[in-house]
Amino acid sequence: MTTRTAAPPALDVRDVTVRFAGLTALDDVSFTVAPGTVHAVIGPNGAGKSTCFNVLSGLYRPAQGSVRLGDAELTRLAPHRIAALGVARTFQNIVTTQGTVADNLMLGRHVLSRAGFAASALRLPRAAREQREHLARAREIAELTGLGEHFETPVALLSYGDRKRVELARALCLEPRVLLLDEPVAGMNAGERARTAEVVRDVRAELGLSVVLVEHDMGLVMRLADEVTVLDFGRAIAHGTPDEVRRDPEVLRAYLGTGTTGEDAA
Amino acid sequence: MSDVLTSVLRRRGGSLLLAVLLCALPFYLDAFWLRIGLFSMAAAIGAVGIGLLSGTAGQLSLGHAFFLAVGAYGYVWLAGEPGPGLPPALAAVLAVLLAGAAGGLFSPVAGRVKGVYLGVATLALVFLGHHVLLTADSVTGGFNGRSVPPLELGGFSFTETDPELTVLGVPFGAEERLWYLGLALFALTWFTARGLLRGRPGRALVALRDSETAASVMGVQVARYRSAAFVVSSMYAGLAGVLLALSFRRVVPDYFSLALSVDYLAMIVIGGLGSVAGATAGAVFITALPLLMTRYADQLPLVATPGSGDGSIGPTEAARYLYGAAIVVILLYAPDGLHGLARRTRARLRRRRPVTAPSDAGPSPRTPATTTARAKEHTP
Repeated sequence: MTTRTAAPPALDVRDVTVRFAGLTALDDVSFTVAPGTVHAVIGPNGAGKSTCFNVLSGLYRPAQGSVRLGDAELTRLAPHRIAALGVARTFQNIVTTQGTVADNLMLGRHVLSRAGFAASALRLPRAAREQREHLARAREIAELTGLGEHFETPVALLSYGDRKRVELARALCLEPRVLLLDEPVAGMNAGERARTAEVVRDVRAELGLSVVLVEHDMGLVMRLADEVTVLDFGRAIAHGTPDEVRRDPEVLRAYLGTGTTGEDAA
Repeated sequence: MSDVLTSVLRRRGGSLLLAVLLCALPFYLDAFWLRIGLFSMAAAIGAVGIGLLSGTAGQLSLGHAFFLAVGAYGYVWLAGEPGPGLPPALAAVLAVLLAGAAGGLFSPVAGRVKGVYLGVATLALVFLGHHVLLTADSVTGGFNGRSVPPLELGGFSFTETDPELTVLGVPFGAEERLWYLGLALFALTWFTARGLLRGRPGRALVALRDSETAASVMGVQVARYRSAAFVVSSMYAGLAGVLLALSFRRVVPDYFSLALSVDYLAMIVIGGLGSVAGATAGAVFITALPLLMTRYADQLPLVATPGSGDGSIGPTEAARYLYGAAIVVILLYAPDGLHGLARRTRARLRRRRPVTAPSDAGPSPRTPATTTARAKEHTP
């Protein structure tokens, strides 16, 4: 079975510009996610954070710029090829599929398994063994993310926080080298937030993967992130450690507004 | 060893009993009932195919009749005269592959067009197919169709005589013989379709239906899986077509019309989308209903006997009204079809059981929350 043990390569975002019919959603955005770090992308609503994720996972093609994971140029690849390179993501609004938690997690094992239509239809021993092995690993990941007791439960019956965690676990099932988390704790209560933060910290320590995090919860960002990029109206206005960013005057202006620039921003 | 046996019996007891029952039926039923069963089995195979495409992968197809026709006519032409006159068993296999190939030819469209739009695109196939069946006389026999060469397997022929066969005092005619062929083909369909749905391809197709975006970022090749679902569905349709041709003993173009495609969609809606058992139940319902109503027309109120023609409703029309009503009722009160209805009934019974028998020391230490929520057994 495939588990990627090597350290992840750096994820390098260079001069990425995305336009939607006249609206520039991302304007010359650049940042680098160092291997094995947690990199947060923050910014007010509409700053282009989710657009940035959609570029990273191949759902949007940028008008200009490049995204490189090691030697691979991601902007030219289809989403499923990017997934096969070990880039997994979660969605801001939960996107699970019908079936149990196990079914969802097994979808995460898709690129790591091989059984095709013929092998599955004829239930070849090879396909059955593969399925068994991957199911065992999926169960491990469910335990790791605190979903162990819900493994056989239909996703539709789970609480909001648990469903959000199913997405995280499904992304982890890809054995990713880079994990893209789009607002992983949005709508969760304090206990669920703490638990998710712990899971993210654990998997990074255990699996050594890079994490790109979009989040509005500043407490979580400050606790988890090694590095922060701040977006505002599609432009990257600040980079640095959480402490540096917190003191950056540009960032304060973007979030809180000031007397002079607040007027034209509004 | 006996432990293994009892555990197998406990898990598979129901299906074993059903299999034995189905195998015993030809000894008790006459040809009329066997023919209903045969048509139902053929329809069930086809319904499983379209269930995989429309129920599991969420791709609407109105072209199912076309692929049934490819299977049926493919067999007739390949095994018959005029035609290459191949051994019928080989012709049957080739006819299924031919239907798959026809689906593959359509896959540039089937892989790119999604949901309802594919339904419109496949509409063209039915009309095209019907036109070809009517005009390509040398292959299809035109309007009057062609008679179907009987299937032969290693010298055993699925006909009335040749060789004369009497089992336990029951003469085995074509219907009895075909019944077992149908059962075998249906078992094959059941086995393969369940394997597909519970395996990696099934999960990928469900993901495609529920969210194309999520599926693609999880590594599912969208166009490839859509086309593959279409091809597999066409192959099941082809197999159903072969069995239908063998049961009808004559194929005619007018049978493979748009109404047939709609019938198949009705089967999976009534049965419940995305389930093999549901598709089977829907297929039996839709197939058997008009045949039964025709047979018992004289005993039913408001239904005229066929051929009386005094302006009242004939049995076929009455059957259509009935299943139209069934679809409306199902969509309103049980949108997940007969399969969902059965599952919920079972869950309710299971929930009630611990209350009526509290002293039951059965091997079920599960919490009630998981037993009610979970209707599927563990994958070993």
